[in-house]
Amino acid sequence: MAEDLVLDTAIRDWVLIPLSVVMVLIGILRYFVSKLMRSSPSPDAKIVKEGQVIIRARNLKAGANFIPLRSFRTRRLYFSNEENGLLHVPKGQGTNPQAQMFSDPNMAMDMMKKNLSMIIPQTLTFAWVNFFFSGFVAAKIPFPLTQRFRSMLQNGIDLSTVDVSYVSSRSWYFLNLFGLRGLFSLILGDENAIDDTQRMMQMGGFGFDASKSLGAEKDGLDIIQHDWALPRFEQRAESVLRKLVK
Amino acid sequence: MVTKTEERELNQLENQVENGGGGVWEYLYLVRKLKVRRSEIVLKHGLSILNDSGKRSALGPDEWILYEQVAMAAMDCQSLAVAQNCIKVLQKKFPESKRVGKLEALLIEAKGMWEEAEKAYSILLEDNPLDQVIHKRKVAMAKAQGKPSLAIEHLNKYLEVFMADHDAWRELAEIYVSLQMYKQAAFCYEELILSQPTLPLYHLAYADVLYTIGGLENLIAARKYYAATIDLTGGKCTRALLGICLCGSAISQLSRGRNKEDKDMAAQELESLAATALEKEYKQKSPAKLNLLSSALRSLKLS
Repeated sequence: MAEDLVLDTAIRDWVLIPLSVVMVLIGILRYFVSKLMRSSPSPDAKIVKEGQVIIRARNLKAGANFIPLRSFRTRRLYFSNEENGLLHVPKGQGTNPQAQMFSDPNMAMDMMKKNLSMIIPQTLTFAWVNFFFSGFVAAKIPFPLTQRFRSMLQNGIDLSTVDVSYVSSRSWYFLNLFGLRGLFSLILGDENAIDDTQRMMQMGGFGFDASKSLGAEKDGLDIIQHDWALPRFEQRAESVLRKLVK
Repeated sequence: MVTKTEERELNQLENQVENGGGGVWEYLYLVRKLKVRRSEIVLKHGLSILNDSGKRSALGPDEWILYEQVAMAAMDCQSLAVAQNCIKVLQKKFPESKRVGKLEALLIEAKGMWEEAEKAYSILLEDNPLDQVIHKRKVAMAKAQGKPSLAIEHLNKYLEVFMADHDAWRELAEIYVSLQMYKQAAFCYEELILSQPTLPLYHLAYADVLYTIGGLENLIAARKYYAATIDLTGGKCTRALLGICLCGSAISQLSRGRNKEDKDMAAQELESLAATALEKEYKQKSPAKLNLLSSALRSLKLS
């Protein structure tokens, strides 16, 4: 059933291009608005210290075999000591990130702002696309697809015999949604190319749960068996020198 | 850390700029991005842009960043008048700014007025107790005034919070070595090895410190770390080669009375190989000193 439908060039002029242009403009607008609304974060000393402790503990785990046994043991004790070890979190005190989030008005506001700035433009644009640009075939996808995609891509088109490669403008909208990151990096400079996909990922990440990561690092450290790698280095140095001297 | 391509690009741009070609702005941008310290060139060319009002207005909002960069370069080259002018311009544009406040405090420190600088930094720290740059400036001031113990105290307090900052550990290690507190320096170098185990520099420094502390166990460990340095640098590190020879002779001296099993039998030929590699390198690079080297090696082996 591969009849080639001839699509009017007017579709390209009045649907595809305006839709892309509008999405780019909305993205730029969102960038500037977020810059204006951004409140400077005031990091808490405790949180910074915990973050650094975790980095140091991870380094210890990674490089444990490069330092002598005694030094490794001393450091491990420093971290996992029951009384005042850095990674040891007494049972009752683990900070509950959820409670903290609702009690700290600043953080709650930040979260809301971020979510809103993403949801509202998306919803509006989607509704606009549906209202104005539905009911006709907008484009043809260059590669063939299975029938399963029909419901997703051909939403406004009520003919069930049309090839699935012919899609409605809604799918063009989604394509733009996920693909404009490259364009944004050109326009806004390399670091600001956050596109909707990344924002959606950012939405999911809630506060930094330090107590769990500390506990995880402590367990990781306790497990390690120290195997001093340096004697092996002597052998390797020997072979290196032998090759050099020949 | 600066990668090789970036380094090459930087050198290329530097040559171009120095020989009168264009590209000054890209060079300045790269210097800012990589945080390298090329103060004289930055000062000369940055100032030429700033003094030319046509070029200056062409920069747009980046002009203030350039003022900041030139101010810091000027302070590094001790052109304090230039720095003062830049800071005045910035102050007019951004009054009550913490970033400009930092520059002012830096200027006071560059003039050598230690107490006022100390006061200025404390005020800045009150506003923002987690500012890493200001903490490091306090350490630098203590070091410049010749008070290494005060510097050590500040650095330790800094490292209690920011313990993953390997530059700080390195600075601390060097101060300890200068004060001959070798055990503490060894601890710092261990931290550095942990964070970047593939960097031969830290292995070498650690081996030096272990060799200086002395004692059979430390000497054996030092030899191992010299071997690690050789492995990581592909045999090119002269200091590590010499280190192996010296360790070898020191170990044999100390363990003369003891059992042969105590000595580490793992790499017997390492010393002779190191000696041969050294002689080869000296023959290539400075044949005049080859005799000195050979006699030194011979005396090591005999002792």
